[in-house]
Parts: sequence; structure tokens; C-alpha cells
Amino acid sequence: MINLANKDIRHTLSKFIVTAMGVGMLLGIVLIMIGVYRGMVDDARILLSDIQADLWVVQQHTLGPFAESSRLHQDLQDTLKSFDGIAQTAALTFQNIQLFNRQNQAIRVLAVGVDPLGDFQIIPPHRLKAGRVLQAQHFEMVVTDKTGFQLGERLSLGRDTYTVVGVTEGTVSSGGDPLVYISLKDAQNVQFSYSNPRIRNDRARGQPTQATQLVNTVVAKVRPGYLPEKVGAHMNEWKHLTTYTHEQQTTILSKNLIERSSKQIGLFTAILVLVSGIIIGLIIYTMTLEKMKEISIMKLIGIPNRMVVQMIMQETLMLGSIAFVFGNVFAHLIYIQFPKRVVLLWPDSIALFFVILFASFLASLFGVYKVMKADPAAAIGG
Amino acid sequence: MKHSGIRVENLMKQFGEGDNAVSVIKGASFEVEKGELAALIAPSGAGKSTLLMMIGCVLEPSSGKIWLGDTLVYDNNWSKADTRALRREKIGFIFQAHYLIPFLNVLENVSLLPLTNKQSEEQATQISSEFLTYLGLEEKLHAMPSDLSGGQNQRVAIARALATHPEIILADEPTAALDIERAHSVVKLLRDIAKSQKVAIIMVTHDERLLTYCDKILKIVAGKIETIDNRDFEEGQNNPVI
Ligand SMILES: Nc1ncnc2c1ncn2[C@@H]1O[C@H](COP(=O)(O)OP(=O)(O)OP(=O)(O)O)[C@@H](O)[C@H]1O
Ligand SMILES: [Mg+2]
Repeated sequence: MINLANKDIRHTLSKFIVTAMGVGMLLGIVLIMIGVYRGMVDDARILLSDIQADLWVVQQHTLGPFAESSRLHQDLQDTLKSFDGIAQTAALTFQNIQLFNRQNQAIRVLAVGVDPLGDFQIIPPHRLKAGRVLQAQHFEMVVTDKTGFQLGERLSLGRDTYTVVGVTEGTVSSGGDPLVYISLKDAQNVQFSYSNPRIRNDRARGQPTQATQLVNTVVAKVRPGYLPEKVGAHMNEWKHLTTYTHEQQTTILSKNLIERSSKQIGLFTAILVLVSGIIIGLIIYTMTLEKMKEISIMKLIGIPNRMVVQMIMQETLMLGSIAFVFGNVFAHLIYIQFPKRVVLLWPDSIALFFVILFASFLASLFGVYKVMKADPAAAIGG
Repeated sequence: MKHSGIRVENLMKQFGEGDNAVSVIKGASFEVEKGELAALIAPSGAGKSTLLMMIGCVLEPSSGKIWLGDTLVYDNNWSKADTRALRREKIGFIFQAHYLIPFLNVLENVSLLPLTNKQSEEQATQISSEFLTYLGLEEKLHAMPSDLSGGQNQRVAIARALATHPEIILADEPTAALDIERAHSVVKLLRDIAKSQKVAIIMVTHDERLLTYCDKILKIVAGKIETIDNRDFEEGQNNPVI
């Protein structure tokens, strides 16, 4: 049997391809949107999975360093170390800072304050691309490659100048900002120390001046054979702190930080898919309108509706499929250009394919309706 | 013995209802035998196309009877709900314009209907190329309609009408778009086809010069049909074509 859809498409191939490319770009953007979401989810988890803590200890009644501000005394790190079931602890600070590159452009980063001499590994070795981790208590910095800073480069931060001693790969904060690591002491200085006039002012007011022995969280690993939940529950009895397991922390991140963004992106994606469907529908509809004369003739000479409808449907599905291929190519070509991480996953892509097939199927119904309505007698009018 | 191809009895067609009703065909009766080429003539607006479309099972009559071959296809109602199948199996259509499907090549245009009628790929191709060869288009089997001249396309359209071995062929001004020489050759062809394929053909025409090839002239007068036997004229000496 002659495949009418095939023949028709081949007859107007270039037009069909250009149309499919246009729709494909739209689908590419849908894929990128999904990728942006995936990137966000991924980014949000990078820091958590890099640190691999069993327990996150934070200020009582707060949701921890990523969702709410949390302050703890640094010495809690040592107290907790002697807690039953705890193997390692590390005090950490997190703060957003601006660094300036040589072009004097501000780069927003999340600075993680870590104890260079601690035994808790905060930067996993596979992240380190060049240089080394922090070793000195002061003025060293490990940066992530996205910041653009080079090994050995000197950066000024606060009152001091830091030297880049290491470069990591792909480390970002839950908000997608590049990470830098500085020593805990430096971090405390930057975060908690006041300017000299302020200190003088505070002294004059009779207020205690500095309280730099603070951190944002203490992370801990439990000994083998201990359950993080149980150890955490014990700690919570101390009343002045709250603990979260790795899983709970992950949930907090995805619930509080990602959920609304994901709804935002989800809605955006849904609208784009809808728009793509409508556009495919309109294209098929106009393609059908252009063929109305032929369709009337076919009906007149006795070609059954089934064959004509099949032609319309196949053309729609082909348009959807070719557009889908173009969309993937397009998305893979441009996703690298996006400043934040875009993660393109094949399962997402395949899911989109089926959604688009379904949307095109619905869209083709306009054209099909037109075919059913076509009056064979109209063929010979004029 | 008569081989009735088309028989119409007291056929009526009115458009609209009530006060707006317009009667176009008011009780037409006639017969065209297999092997006959009949011309349908009348002034514009008299109902030629309307009549043809009723016989072609495209337009539903208001009342009357239509036989195609031995089948009573209309008796105040279509005998078969699927009039399209009737058309596909019994009728070949030819129009003023060729109305070929632009995205199918010549051979595909002609073999589409036989294929739809469940013929095998080989059979359909063979029949189609036979007719196309018969019509002098053996070199153009794989050409697209847009690459052919008007006359060539009209011949493809004729081949398409023939390919299903229809019992009747309905041609609505098949020569209107052609120059007079081509018009003559197309009508001669229709006549030969009527004779050789034993089909009943009704052809609408405005061109009196073409009547000379026809066995019968059906003339619409006041919504009825006057049948004029044209064979005597055809055998007359003053017929330059034969
Ligand atoms: N669908 C319709 N509704 C109402 N009136 C119609 C319809 N179709 C045809 N008519 C009327 O029926 C009459 C006959 O039309 P028809 O097309 O059969 O004429 P014709 O003889 O083929 O004319 P022509 O030589 O111009 O092709 C015309 O007056 C036309 O206005
Ligand atoms: Mg007409």
C-alpha cells in the first residue's frame, strides 16, 4: 500500500524539516528547562554528598545551615566527639561572599569554613583538580573551577589577601553558587568579626565585643554499628541543639529550597509542552487545510476516511518525532552555555517524547475533524 | 440484448426547504448502456453537475431510482450506507481539472484506488501501467503531476478512472481545460474506452463539436431529460472525424 503521509512529506520535505526544526527548538527549550531543574536538584545535593556526614547538628529549632541561619559554639565539636557512638566531627561555617576577579567583576560564591587540621574530610579527593586541600590556618583558599580563579592566584577578602592553593571541580552550593573553601578561623573572622569602629562603639556601650568562636553547624560521622537516628535522638535530649540525619538534611534541602523552584519550572515546562502541542496542532491543521482540495477528491473517488485520517495522524507523529530529535540535538548543543548546571537525562527525554507523541496525537484531531467534515462534492465546485 | 450501465427513473433533486426550495432536477429518466458514450448538455446552472453527482452517489437525490449495472443503488434511499465504497468499486470520475494528488507520482495516483480495493501491489501496478501505456504515458509512470502538461495530466486522470474497471465513468467537462485538439483526442479516447472496456460513460460538455463522438445526447430541459440518439448522425457522411 502506498504510504500517503510519507509521500506527502517527501513532496514538501524542506518545508517539513524546517517546521520540525522550529518545533524542535521549542522542545529543546523544554528539555533544557527540565535539565535546569535536574541541575538544581543535583547541585543541592553536591555539598551534602561531598561531606557525607551521618549527622548534621544545628542550632535548636532551626532547619540547619542551608535553610535557616544556625549558630553553635565551636567547642561543641569537641564535646560531641566524646558522645557515645560518634567517630568524627567537624565544625563548619557557610557564608555567601563576593570575590573580585582580575577584571574586577564580582563573583558570588559560598565560602565554606573548614578546619584545615581536622580529620573529617570535607573536600573529597575526586573533586580536587589541581593543587591541594587547605593546610594552613590562615589565608589559603581552595576554589572551584567555575569561579575562573587559577592556582596561585591572590585574592583579597575582608581585610586580608588569600592564595589559591587548590582547584576543585563541579562543587556548587545548593543555590548553584560556586564554592570556595577557607579555614574555619578565616571564615569566622569574615563572618563574625566587626570593623574597628564597630568594636570601639561596642566597647563604649559596654557590650561584649567579639564572639568569633561560633560556627553554623557541626557535622559528625557515627561509629560502625551505631544508627545515626539513634545517636541523633540522644543528642536532641541536650535541648540546645537539633540534629538531622543525612536523609533528613536532604529532604530539608529538597523541600524548602527546591520544591517551589521545581513547581515553578514544572509549570513552565507544562506550559511549554502545551504550547508545543498547540503549535504542532496548528501546523498540522494548516497542512490539512492546504490539502483540502486533494482530500475532497480522495473522498469523492472513494478513498475511505480511514486512509486520509491515517495520513494526517502519521504526519503529525512524524512531525513530533523529528521535532523531538531536533530538540535533543539543540538541547545538547546549547546546554553547556548556561551559567548554572543543566543536567540532560535520557529518561526525561524519553518521557517528553511520549508526552509529545500524545500531545501531537491530540493536536492532529483538529486536522482529522476537518477531514471528516470535508465535503466530497466540494471537490468539483467551480 | 441490452446491457444497462446506468438507469435513472424519475429522479428529483431540490435544494433547500419550504419557501426557499429550488427544484433543479424534476423527474429525470434515462438510460445509458454499457459501451455507450453519452453527452450531457444544458445551459449553465441547469443541473448537469447535480445530476452527475447524484448518479455518482456523491449527492443524495430527493427521490427517484438509480441503477448502476444491475444494482439498484438508490431507491429513495441509498441501498448501501457506505456510498464511498459504491463509488470506489463501480464508478470512475473525471473532472474538468485533473485533480491528481500532487504528492503521488503518476503510477501511484492511478494505482491508489485499485490498492484500496484490496488488489495486490503487483496487480495494481500492472493494471495501472497498462492503462497508462494505453493512454500513451508509458514514459511518465514515475513523473510527478506537476511535471506533466495539462493534457497529459488529464490522461492520467482518465487512467485513474479506468484502473478500478468501473461499470460507469462520469466525466464533468473533462475537456474544458484543454485546447480543441486535445479535447478531440480525449473524447475520442473516452469513446474508445466505452467500446473496448464496455463501460457506460456520461460526459458533460459545452462544446458541440465534441458531440459527434457520442452515441447519445442527454439534454436537460426544464429539469427533465430529453434523450437524442446520435448514432445516425455519427454514421452520416458529413462527420469529418470518423
Ligand atoms: N448545494 C447547493 N445548494 C443550493 N443550490 C445548489 C447547490 N448545488 C447546486 N445548486 C444549484 O443547482 C443548480 C444547478 O447547479 P449545477 O452545478 O448542477 O449546474 P451545472 O449545470 O453543472 O452548471 P455549470 O455548467 O455552470 O457547471 C444551480 O442553480 C445551483 O445554484
Ligand atoms: Mg457543472
